[in-house]
Amino acid sequence: MNTITLKNVLPRVFSGRENELTSEIWLRDVEFQRGKKYLIEAASGTGKSSLLAFLIGYRHDYDGTICFDGRDISTLSTAEWVELRQRSLALLFQELRLFPELTAWENVEVKNSLTGFKDMNSVSRWFEAFGIADKKDVKIGKMSFGQQQRVAMIRALAQPFDFLLADEPISHLDESNSRVMAEIMQEEARAQGAGIIVTSIGKHMEMDYDFRIKM
Amino acid sequence: MIWKLLRQHISVSQFVGFFTANLVGMLIVLISIQFYRDVIPVFTEDDGLISRTYLILSKKITAVSSLMGEANTFSENDIEDIRAQRFTRKVGVFTASQYKVYASLGVGGLSFGTDMFFESVPSDFVDTDASSWHFNPSGREVPIILPRSYLAIYNFGFAQSQSLPRLTEGVVGMIPMDIRLSGNGQEERLKGRVIGFSSRLNTILVPEDFMEWSNSRLAPDSDTAPTRLIIEVTNPTDHDIARYIGERGYEMENDQLEAGRLTYFLKIVTGIVLAIGLLISILSFYILMLSVYLLLQKNTTKLENLLLIGYSPARVSRPYQLLTVAMNLLVLVIAIALLLWIRSQYMNLLWSMFPQIQEASLFTSVMSGCAIFTLVSIFNIIAIRRRVNAIWRHKE
Repeated sequence: MNTITLKNVLPRVFSGRENELTSEIWLRDVEFQRGKKYLIEAASGTGKSSLLAFLIGYRHDYDGTICFDGRDISTLSTAEWVELRQRSLALLFQELRLFPELTAWENVEVKNSLTGFKDMNSVSRWFEAFGIADKKDVKIGKMSFGQQQRVAMIRALAQPFDFLLADEPISHLDESNSRVMAEIMQEEARAQGAGIIVTSIGKHMEMDYDFRIKM
Repeated sequence: MIWKLLRQHISVSQFVGFFTANLVGMLIVLISIQFYRDVIPVFTEDDGLISRTYLILSKKITAVSSLMGEANTFSENDIEDIRAQRFTRKVGVFTASQYKVYASLGVGGLSFGTDMFFESVPSDFVDTDASSWHFNPSGREVPIILPRSYLAIYNFGFAQSQSLPRLTEGVVGMIPMDIRLSGNGQEERLKGRVIGFSSRLNTILVPEDFMEWSNSRLAPDSDTAPTRLIIEVTNPTDHDIARYIGERGYEMENDQLEAGRLTYFLKIVTGIVLAIGLLISILSFYILMLSVYLLLQKNTTKLENLLLIGYSPARVSRPYQLLTVAMNLLVLVIAIALLLWIRSQYMNLLWSMFPQIQEASLFTSVMSGCAIFTLVSIFNIIAIRRRVNAIWRHKE
């Protein structure tokens, strides 16, 4: 997948408030390109998580058209969405969506066994790089949110992708950890020629963004 | 890994409940089918000696007719009339012995003896090979066909109370029978041999040539009209036959009708039991579906997360589908094992009552079990998949 385009898209929850919006995304024509890095700056309640939910096919309550490579995503079948989630769209959820009853390692393994994308060593290296190598066998439920955020990022990277979507990836990370995360994300995206879309409401992940969009 | 996630919240007690209920339901269904298959031949089987297309007719004996001394015999005209009917293929008369018969049997040192009588029908009404159904005066051995009920009376009533051995048909054929015939101032001593049992003829049957020989020697003068006729019809269920018999005031020895009633009764009872079994099966199916739904409900977030990270609905459904199918299969296997055991128990009892009974095949009941298994499993698989699809669309 090379492009994600939004044409005149508006979440249904915003219907009737069109005039109050000063968004560079909603009700505009926007194009995200593979290989480029985007930062979406948003205040809370402006619908950034909604946007990611639309892009991953989790929610469909919007007006307008979203296309992947020109194909209207409202016409995608279940099988096509499954394929996209496995091969094209890597997403770090704001709410992480990890499995608390599994260990950190197992959480990554759930994804990696599905895609078969990374070997054990690569995954181990990420754990080390993120400074949570000692937490591999700890249950997610026993880890801090910041630690969980890093596990969720490793899981998101355990698949091939054309776009890496990260919803507030560093909300609970200190500066050095967020720098590590930015490096790993860029490294993986570069290796695959993929695009990165990062959202943020407060502190921004340091990266040489190609575009900064105000939501 | 997926399994480790998805087995969370599995309620063992609910599944044990389903398992028990399903097992009971399945077992009842299988046993009722198998029991029906095993028992029904007792009432319907063709005895191989007297074909089912033969009917036996007699005249009605009423209180008035016996007081008035009315003849209950068939005249030549009666016989000709029957022969002329559309449904009749051939007619034969029963010839009764006109002399005294005393027969005795020796079983294990004990000897039973009784006065009795013989009857014969034309040989072509008896489906047995001509060489054995034949009397040779120099051989002095009489082949005999006994009513099957005699053996049942002996085995079930007498032998049990006297702690005598039960006899199979084959064994009875090997027991020598002494026969003493007397009449016309003469006496004949012969050997009798039981060559078969009939559930259709309620008489002690001997070959026609023996009857001619013995009647001519021991009762040369008497010649009485027959009281019973045997007719072969084209179709025993033809309504015209019943109408004709009714009009003429004849009576049909209707073991078939009796068997028909019993069969009907058995069918109803089996049907009811089968329905109860199926009902329990259906209820157990609901228990399973409820447990699985509850399980899916409790694991909704996990399932949703798996779907969001790229698992397909089919993949996420599979562990639950395998779980239910495995349980159904286990139920089927245990039910068939129990069926075999229970059947061996009741077959022993049946054999003691009806030694001639043939073991029916297990095919129908086992196939029914497999059919229930397949059907329930398919429903389970579809229901689980639909549920997961609903989670995919995040509709509860």
